[in-house]
Amino acid sequence: MTLSRARALGLIGAAALLPSCSGAAGDAVRIGSKNFTEEFVIAEIYAQALEAKGLKVDRSKFNLGSAQIAMAALEHGDIDLYPEYTGTMLIEVLHRAPLRDPKAIFETVRAALSKRGLVVLAPSPMNDSQALATTQAIAKKYGIATLSKLAPVASQLRLATIPEFVSRADGLPGLQKFYGGFRFADVKSYDIGLKYDALLQGSADVATAFTTDGAIAANDLVVIADDRHFWPAYNVAPVVRAAVAAKYPQIATVLKSVSPLITDVAAQKMNYAVEHDKADPADVARTFLKAHAL
Amino acid sequence: MLQDVRTHLELAGAALLAGALIAIPLGVLAGYAGAARGAIVGIAAVGRTLPSLAVLTFVLPFLGVGFWPAIVALTLLAIPPIVINTDLGLRGVDPAALDAARGMGMTRRQTFGRVAWPLALPSVATGLRTAAIEVVASATLATFVGAGGLGVEIVRGLQTGDDRVLYQGAIAVALLALAVELLGGALAKRIGAST
Repeated sequence: MTLSRARALGLIGAAALLPSCSGAAGDAVRIGSKNFTEEFVIAEIYAQALEAKGLKVDRSKFNLGSAQIAMAALEHGDIDLYPEYTGTMLIEVLHRAPLRDPKAIFETVRAALSKRGLVVLAPSPMNDSQALATTQAIAKKYGIATLSKLAPVASQLRLATIPEFVSRADGLPGLQKFYGGFRFADVKSYDIGLKYDALLQGSADVATAFTTDGAIAANDLVVIADDRHFWPAYNVAPVVRAAVAAKYPQIATVLKSVSPLITDVAAQKMNYAVEHDKADPADVARTFLKAHAL
Repeated sequence: MLQDVRTHLELAGAALLAGALIAIPLGVLAGYAGAARGAIVGIAAVGRTLPSLAVLTFVLPFLGVGFWPAIVALTLLAIPPIVINTDLGLRGVDPAALDAARGMGMTRRQTFGRVAWPLALPSVATGLRTAAIEVVASATLATFVGAGGLGVEIVRGLQTGDDRVLYQGAIAVALLALAVELLGGALAKRIGAST
């Protein structure tokens, strides 16, 4: 019961709606985010770093739901930039096959999106991979330390997930194709802030996860090892509309100095602070930037 | 898809039934109790304005995720229109009819069962119909707490940019609500409601 479900659910309303009006603020950089903790924190880091260099920032389009929604908002010009994951852009936005090499993923994504008027800046070292997680007790009971071991016994287990995982190529259909098996006895979709609650309350045996989720450490959960490397790298990177990147060259300069600082450990710590200690993402971002004297 | 339709109807049906079981007695109480009426109808009117999403969030710490929080939120949604219309129906009964019943020597209970209730029934049916439509439309929210239903398709379609799935879910909900409306209308006609 340690998750910030009130926050997650309270904001669903906004997440469920595509942005319908474009921002009014003329000279502010409109930063967006998707609808989970890490996106809130990283979008805040981008925002505060830009503000520190004197740029005006509009945060009214935080909490935009999935990659499809946020990317549509960006391409329609409803937002100017937001943090997105390289692997997600490769598979979900460009519909390409997964690549093994993180650098190749970034280069592919950068080249393809530049043709769509978007600039992908250098990604952070942090890799927030998708994953499946479970409790210590269930992991022991079924002996499922790896996805190879989980694949055949999934038919005895219930999965708590988010709607997009059910149909994404790097979600359940991909897992089934790649590992075989993975025919869960039951698959239920939850709001992204509630899937761990389902696991912890015994309504599910396995939950989809992001490896940097603060809830994993907060609840002593086990991330099941992707032993055959199904998932590509998901390094977070700022994606900026080319027109805005040209108008404000400071954006690239500032974010290029910030991105390298966001490591796995840093991201986990910040997500933990929000999800376990109930800290405000803006405060967490401020502490992070201060610690790096930015 | 069929599974989602079934879950959707189960959620809506259970909530409507629970709502009716709670709201009809409350409406009768309001219709007869002079002092309590203001409070009951007032609370119902306020309840009508509570967003179901807020209710859903509020009950999560007590009920966890899944079927039950969804049922509670939807039941609370179903109650107000039934209470208000039951009360209205009973208040609208012609006093002459009640006088006549008493004049014929009927007890209070008989007056209610044979005269007041049948005359109020069309209004009660209108309340049930309104509640049914609201519940069918709002059961889409159940997906956020893992209770399934057609909201699963709508949210998945939205998240993955798959318009086919999105519209499949949305149109199915609209058709269900329309079916409930027509079915309710047909039932109302049979019991003589003016629609």
